[in-house]
Amino acid sequence: MIDMRNTTLKMCTLAFVLCCSSCGGIHNALNPSGPQAHNLSRLWWLMFIVCSAVFVIVMIAVFLSLRNRTGDSQATPQIEPPREQERKRSNVVVTAVTITVVILFVFLIASFSAGRSMTAGLEHKNGLTVEITGHQWWWEVRYPDASANNIFTTANEIHIPIGVPVTFSLKGGDVIHSFWVPNLAGKKDLIPGKINTMWLQADKPGVYRGQCAEYCGLQHARMALWIVAEPQEQFNAWRQSQTGTSIPPSSDSQKRGQQVFLTSTCVMCHAINGTPAGSNIGPNLTHVASRNMIAAATLVNTREHLAQWIRDSQTFKPGNKMPQNNLSDADLNSLVDYLQSLK
Amino acid sequence: MSQKEAQNEEPRNEGRPRAPLVERIDVDREELADVMKREKEELERTWARPTGIIGWFIDTDHKAIAKRYIITAFIFFVFGGIEAALMRIQLMRPDNHFLTPDQYNQIFTVHGTTMMFLFAVPIMTAMGIYLVPLMIGARDVAFPRLNLYGYFVYLIGGILLYTGFVLNTGPDAGWFAYVPLSGPGFSPGKRVDIWAQMITFTELSGLAGAVVVIGTAFKMRAPGMSLNRLPLFVWAQVVTSFMIIFAMPSVMLASGFLASDRLIDTHFFNPAEGGDAILYQHLFWFFGHPEVYIIFIPALGFISPIIVTFARRKIFGYVPLVLSLISTAFIGFGLWVHHMFATPIPQMGQSLFTAASMMIAIPSGVQIFCWIATLWGSKLNIKTPLLFVLGFFAIFIIGGLTGVMLASVPLDLQIHDTFFVVAHLHYVLIGGSVFPLFGAFYYWFPKWTGRMLSESAGRLNFWLMFIGFNLVFFPMHQLGLNGMPRRVYTYLPETGWGTLNLVASIGAFILASGVLVFIINVFWARAAGAVAGDNPWAADSLEWATTSPPPNYNFHNLPVVQGRYPIWQATADAPVVRGLSTTSRETLVTSVLDAQPELCFDIPGPSIWPFLLSLATAVMFVAGIFTPWAILTGAILGGIVLTCWFFGDPNYKNKTARETGKRSQPVRPAPELRPKEV
Amino acid sequence: MSTQAIIDVSKLPHHEFDTYDPVWWGNNLLLAIETSMFGILIATYFYLRQNFPEWPPPVAQLTATLKPLPQLGYGTANTILLLVSCIPMVLTDISARRGNRGVSQIGLVIGVLCGVGACVLRGFEFSAMYFRWDSNAYGSVVWFMLGMHMMHLCILTTEAVLLAVWIFTREYDMKHRVDIVTVAIYWYWVTAIWLLLYAIIYFTPRLG
Repeated sequence: MIDMRNTTLKMCTLAFVLCCSSCGGIHNALNPSGPQAHNLSRLWWLMFIVCSAVFVIVMIAVFLSLRNRTGDSQATPQIEPPREQERKRSNVVVTAVTITVVILFVFLIASFSAGRSMTAGLEHKNGLTVEITGHQWWWEVRYPDASANNIFTTANEIHIPIGVPVTFSLKGGDVIHSFWVPNLAGKKDLIPGKINTMWLQADKPGVYRGQCAEYCGLQHARMALWIVAEPQEQFNAWRQSQTGTSIPPSSDSQKRGQQVFLTSTCVMCHAINGTPAGSNIGPNLTHVASRNMIAAATLVNTREHLAQWIRDSQTFKPGNKMPQNNLSDADLNSLVDYLQSLK
Repeated sequence: MSQKEAQNEEPRNEGRPRAPLVERIDVDREELADVMKREKEELERTWARPTGIIGWFIDTDHKAIAKRYIITAFIFFVFGGIEAALMRIQLMRPDNHFLTPDQYNQIFTVHGTTMMFLFAVPIMTAMGIYLVPLMIGARDVAFPRLNLYGYFVYLIGGILLYTGFVLNTGPDAGWFAYVPLSGPGFSPGKRVDIWAQMITFTELSGLAGAVVVIGTAFKMRAPGMSLNRLPLFVWAQVVTSFMIIFAMPSVMLASGFLASDRLIDTHFFNPAEGGDAILYQHLFWFFGHPEVYIIFIPALGFISPIIVTFARRKIFGYVPLVLSLISTAFIGFGLWVHHMFATPIPQMGQSLFTAASMMIAIPSGVQIFCWIATLWGSKLNIKTPLLFVLGFFAIFIIGGLTGVMLASVPLDLQIHDTFFVVAHLHYVLIGGSVFPLFGAFYYWFPKWTGRMLSESAGRLNFWLMFIGFNLVFFPMHQLGLNGMPRRVYTYLPETGWGTLNLVASIGAFILASGVLVFIINVFWARAAGAVAGDNPWAADSLEWATTSPPPNYNFHNLPVVQGRYPIWQATADAPVVRGLSTTSRETLVTSVLDAQPELCFDIPGPSIWPFLLSLATAVMFVAGIFTPWAILTGAILGGIVLTCWFFGDPNYKNKTARETGKRSQPVRPAPELRPKEV
Repeated sequence: MSTQAIIDVSKLPHHEFDTYDPVWWGNNLLLAIETSMFGILIATYFYLRQNFPEWPPPVAQLTATLKPLPQLGYGTANTILLLVSCIPMVLTDISARRGNRGVSQIGLVIGVLCGVGACVLRGFEFSAMYFRWDSNAYGSVVWFMLGMHMMHLCILTTEAVLLAVWIFTREYDMKHRVDIVTVAIYWYWVTAIWLLLYAIIYFTPRLG
């Protein structure tokens, strides 16, 4: 019962926030929710308006030049047009070129200043730092901390407090990926062998969707992520809940589910803190039930989806690194019970 | 020939006779007619093209080679279009299952690779190879066998790619194949190797074409065609060819390093052993950015003659136009990092590339304003070629403006790698190159075939393409801003991207139908089009001063040029060039700056060696995918072919030589046509 | 009778040296392509250098030296050989322009011997390298530079052989005299590129 309500709640939330995407929405560069994206949106509108005006004026000039249509293909060509006429045209062309140069210069300045504010003081931002490592086809998210007890790793869903600049340290894991949450900031690539840094800030609470923006192989299309921006207290609570070991299974089904987990191939890739499972090839599942989505933010985290994903992820995301698992219904049920208890 | 004879035969540097001047001679018109008739028969025989199946492999006539290039490139264009249609069907709806992810990834890779390497560059080269010798008043290109070799390696490269694709081993790492995705760790099998080696073939072909065009345009112009009288079409081809020479080595290295990383375990791009993934991007884009100008600048060369002809006046701003072409080429080499703004390259360095990327809009603007100034107030004759040029204005300007937006580092970080970029690149490439190309087809088809394409079908062609194109690509700007990244085989329904994608897919079919109308028009016109005559458009440049289609030897008497608009400015007593042999293949070589006659240059005739050399190259680079020893084997085979080429007789099938048993001597003009002794 | 304005080109030669002949342009354009390629290759060398705290990277088992600097022996010998070989090439060049068949023949034969010698020395250079092409990025780029240059040495030597055979067995005509000058230009270019590569591979690591 609780699961059903939770599920419906999640699905409704998702549907609601996503359905107004074209007129706003949570995955839209023109619906800025943070200072970076605001900056870029302003720059966009400046360039868009000026460029549209330029286009209209030039096309008017093109149309006006078509006024004199005779259709006579054999008319005597004018090799030496009147000097006065040519001089006037020269003046117009020179003026047009000058205006072009001025406009470009304005764009250049606007672009520089927008760029400076993007990186200004990057080293001094002492807000939150989050480390992202790109994998085929999911995002490894790590929250470092001075005290080792507070460090934790999760996947695909990033929480940040509102009004605080968050520095992202982007590392390439296997191939090049690109971290992009359009409502909040531009994108930066995750390149193996290099570390890329950016910062962003969310001013309004909400969910912001992102997607990998550098072709990274078969399932590049299904490598999304969520940034959940929430008030500081809620963020702190979330962070607290993410540290520490997993919640031990309470019911019989959950205990059985943990056994299924530990004795199947799951442990080869997934870690759950507090159990012997410690592999970090795949997403960390310690608090998997606290996430809204699975499969790199492409499937809502409901019971049915989880079961389908475990049994046969290849149908939804063919080629992804998780194999099919032929578990019996009973085993699968218990496993899902257990995973759904890991809040 | 003994040393003494060699010394006496040709004048040396110091004692070279001055370039011959114009002289007037007395002629008897009747005798002249007889002489011309006899010469024409001899020319036809000397320049006869080989026939039959073997003939196809050995024919070095630049017009034949160019036509082959154009048809082959157009076929690849259609293939690329089919791939695009498949992509649009898949993306029509969210969560569509028309294509599997692997199929989609192969298709978008092959679409981009086909369009960029197998269609765009070769067809622009081909237009130059056909028209440059005619426009400058030459009998053939400077290096006909190199030209033929270029075609064969291009064909082999295309066959290589499509064989892989059809066998489900097509490359799937994108048309620029970034490492590490395309490297040995993440792209197993031969898919990316096929891509990397195909690059080698198409780059060899492009480089061959570039050397041929520059050699021809610099050295084989008709007397009087000094550089400041060079047609803008030829300027564009020369500038493009220089860009090819300096840009293509970079991609040869990029694909060469990639192939060697994959095949022989080098570490150019392996961060674990000091290699660098960004190095690949630098190497690729140092080529990749000039590449788009290599595709774009020839199209600028199409626009100028079309505007001049249909506006019935001289071009406005010849010198600014030439300088714009040259400065576009120069600046084009300084932009490449704008493809890499999302990498960790320091932002101060990146900003320089913003400035350069915006600056390149200036020469483009100059050209557009000069063309509008040419059109303004002129008694315009709006035929299909001009219609496509007008379409260019509308579409390319949008593309150029979105390019300026993408030039800005911060804004680029929002729209990079999204459908906004897909929209931009198609606006500049299709608007900037394909529309002028279609205009050029309508304009020069009469010259190539002797028939006019249908004007009404041409208009239908244009409007279908124009409307279809805008329907496909305009919504993509919005899609990119709405968050849709590139190269996704599907998307979730909740993203809301479905509607615009559907509109784009519908537009794709309208665009395709426009191309279909063109193809039908071509087939119809070949059979039933109006006969064109020498100069149906009453145009000004030299290709219209000979028959349609031109004879194999292009011009009976090479013309002497008296102005920038040779036909329009020809006087009644315009001189002609006399003294070239009619029994061996000869053309005139002139000086680079002023086109003063310098040499009577022997043009090699049909030859099998270019084809055999392309086979040796195929061994090197196709078998080289499977074993490094093939490189050595292919090189040895190539060496053997080149040895035979070197020792072979350049007048391979010159029938006159075989009949007389020795190399024919150049025929001096008949006594009646020589100047009288004073 | 009427008059016709003509330009009578019948007395023009068929071949001429330097910029007069399209072959000069073709050859130099090909050299421009290759120069571009080497330029980018050299840029790659310096780019990759940034990824290594020590360049060349230290070798694991070598106890005698910390930094395995490329040994100077074979490379220097090759440089001297190529520079010296330019002398007979210059003489061959001049002889071709003057039409002196004997000098051309001797010069080309010496050239071929030098070319073969350079290739042999190059083989020793490869074997004297501490790293193979598949050891690390340094090895990859240095082998590539040496390898591309060796490819040019081979092509150059082969061209000289072919021309030598021709002028020994067939006519010493203008076309082939122009070809001799073309080969000479290629020779100077191969030497010049080698000087650049030699300085970069062998000396820039020593500058620290």
